[in-house]
Amino acid sequence: MEKLGLNLSKELSEILLEVGALLMASGANSSRIRITIMRIAKAYGFNAELLITHRALMVSVSDDEHDLFQSSLKRTSPHGANFRMVSGISRMSWRIVDENWNFEQIWGEINRLKSLPHYPRLIVLSTVALAGASFCRLFGGGPVEMLVAFVATFTGLFVRQEVTRRNFNGYLCIFFASLASCLISGASVKLNLGAEPEYAFATSVLYLIPGIPLINSLSDLLDGNIMNGIVRGTNGLIIAFAIAFGMLCSILIYNI
Amino acid sequence: MEWSVFFESWIWLGFASLGFAILFNVPLRTLWVIFLLGALGGTLKLVTMKMGGGIILGSFFGAMLVGFLSISAAHFRHAPPFVFAIPSVIPMVPGAFAYRMMLGIIKLTGDVDHTTFTQLLDDTVTNGLKAFFVLMALALGVSAPMLLTRRESAKQIKVPLKIDGLIKK
Repeated sequence: MEKLGLNLSKELSEILLEVGALLMASGANSSRIRITIMRIAKAYGFNAELLITHRALMVSVSDDEHDLFQSSLKRTSPHGANFRMVSGISRMSWRIVDENWNFEQIWGEINRLKSLPHYPRLIVLSTVALAGASFCRLFGGGPVEMLVAFVATFTGLFVRQEVTRRNFNGYLCIFFASLASCLISGASVKLNLGAEPEYAFATSVLYLIPGIPLINSLSDLLDGNIMNGIVRGTNGLIIAFAIAFGMLCSILIYNI
Repeated sequence: MEWSVFFESWIWLGFASLGFAILFNVPLRTLWVIFLLGALGGTLKLVTMKMGGGIILGSFFGAMLVGFLSISAAHFRHAPPFVFAIPSVIPMVPGAFAYRMMLGIIKLTGDVDHTTFTQLLDDTVTNGLKAFFVLMALALGVSAPMLLTRRESAKQIKVPLKIDGLIKK
């Protein structure tokens, strides 16, 4: 019986860390990670305490009945937003509570969520490019500027995906993408295409803005997770720096 | 006052949110809701700014609208509210201010004379502060429903509008 309880708490803490690491990597904020993990642990009658940092998670699982205590630590993978994962894990956590899932079912669901496809690449590229063109229109650009913003965003995102696949440093990927976008939109400023090509130049890098790190940073700060908030905010600022550096390089190249 | 411009920007705001939604790989069933939320929130921001509210108050109202609507959306599309809320408020994130501040800081390190320096410092500080406060307003607005109802999960918030049963199949 004692042995069984030990295995149970060990496997539970593995599941909790896997769920937490997936949520952290997919762009959830700290309080969501904490709530989800507490919910799953409670469903099995365990108490869980959690330490959340940017690149690692630590969980301590304890059980009043057996006097067991299990601590483990897990490194989280590099971050990349994936809300399909967050949504799937949130639904899974409720089904664990409502339907009394066993551990095999949880592992099965986690593996299913991991294998879910992303949107087709061409669709991602063209919708994000359309979003770039929309930003340009909102800032006051005309059809020519919108077209420039579309092409610049499309190329920039393509470059970012390619560089990310080659495992460059994350901030360097952003820099390359920003440089590629600005080289295209900067050319339109240099050649004076359209009425006000500056709008295209300013909006062609908006798809890179660190929205998730910055919003999560502030919501963590509001929630009292000051450390996590500061770390996420710094990450966002470095991304903003990488974008600005890419813009600056193209400004220097074109001398505009 | 020209109001018809809002109908046009409504569409563009929706597409801007849609692009980010696809980039963040949201579930397919939530896409059109995100389009709607992004368009509505962004329009409220533009209307507030047109009425003289300023960008910070505008972003706050827009984000708060998105925050409340995302709770009802979460109930009938079965996804956590922030899956709807984040892509919808991303078009309002002050990205332009943030990188203009960075650009300003980089330029400040160059050899500039006193007047240009003062002008640059002025712009940089203004852009940085605006970026910070708009972000603060966005985060506060999006989490307003949770903070006001003092619940930990959207499942515990009862949706007053009975749209649940109507829209489900």
